[in-house]
Amino acid sequence: MASLVRAFFVPLLVCIVALGVTDAFVRVAFPTTERLSDNFSSAYLQMVVDRMRDEPRQAVVLGDSVLWGYRLRAVESAPAVLAREGIANVNLSYEGGSPANTYAMLRYLLARGVRPGIVVFNVNQKTFNAADSAYATLHPSVSVLARPLLASSDAALLAPAKSGNTFDARLDRGVASIWRLYAIRTDVRELFFGDVDAAHALHDVLETASGAKARSDAAHAPTPDKFEGTYDLAPLDDANVSVHYLSRTIETLRAYHIPALAILTPTNHTLLHDYIDNRQYERNLAFVRARLERGGVRVVDLDRAFGDRDFLDNDHLTAAANRRLARDLAKELAHA
Amino acid sequence: MIDAEHNVVPGSRDVADVLITDLVFRLLGRRLERPLVLGIVIFAFVVAMIVFGPSSESRFIYTDF
Repeated sequence: MASLVRAFFVPLLVCIVALGVTDAFVRVAFPTTERLSDNFSSAYLQMVVDRMRDEPRQAVVLGDSVLWGYRLRAVESAPAVLAREGIANVNLSYEGGSPANTYAMLRYLLARGVRPGIVVFNVNQKTFNAADSAYATLHPSVSVLARPLLASSDAALLAPAKSGNTFDARLDRGVASIWRLYAIRTDVRELFFGDVDAAHALHDVLETASGAKARSDAAHAPTPDKFEGTYDLAPLDDANVSVHYLSRTIETLRAYHIPALAILTPTNHTLLHDYIDNRQYERNLAFVRARLERGGVRVVDLDRAFGDRDFLDNDHLTAAANRRLARDLAKELAHA
Repeated sequence: MIDAEHNVVPGSRDVADVLITDLVFRLLGRRLERPLVLGIVIFAFVVAMIVFGPSSESRFIYTDF
């Protein structure tokens, strides 16, 4: 019996204690990165938001990949530049943002007791298109935390959430609820490898070294035909899900007396000339602007503020253009 | 040991065989007999599985192109 305890239970106990110590360390010391990774977990988001309660009244940036800094290093994104210029902010934007995602994130912040000093968010015309991937879909990690907070009439407008009642999903939730390292495994991998996992990171290194990445980038250079259908120019009204969530965001900001600055997203009119340089696009832009201003939100219209050379594609800005965006925002925030 | 016909000579042991079954196992096995070391090795294995494991989580696919 003694040998069984020694051979089996003692190693098991040592392992469990070591995992417990690691978990305690992760809870206290896991770093908060400059922006959410493109594969962030709900546990990581919860940790970031809970830490925000220690620094109240700071600026919070909500939005999509434009403010996230798509294809740029985190330090090159406009919010990171803004922070270096002395305007402290937490960048909670992410790839695949939309008015529905902005509203869900805002509800979650408020539910956790965070009261931002100001909310800076971008409104991208392409997300009013029902064909957009984020039009009525929440980021899975945001969905887990924020969907239960939405009114049933709001939630009904969203695409059904991925089934959470399978055995796998319940087991995953159960393990994640007691084991923090497991819950933030995607963030750990992003932190260590800068990619979704070690295999993808190695693949990227090999592709870069072999020149395959450069060839692939050249083959995927943005051309107008790739954006056909990206912008839906149907007249906007309250039946549009993004308009609905934009209105809910404005109402909520007003109800909680939170100042807000909305950016009409810079758009590459040279690249998209055939699709968006027309009256209906301007009407839709004016509709969004009027809705925001009527709700008391300051609007910075950057739709035509940048030239073709400032863009990587239809709406994502280069590093230099992000620095200019940060300067523009700093001026606006000084008046807010 | 392998003969000219590429057959393993019965009863013989090649270098790899000696290394694996004798040296490594003896070195590792002796330490793993200690419960503390075995526990730490299992812990390191579990953490390595978490860190180096493949990502099977559903990603929110960003589709601009």
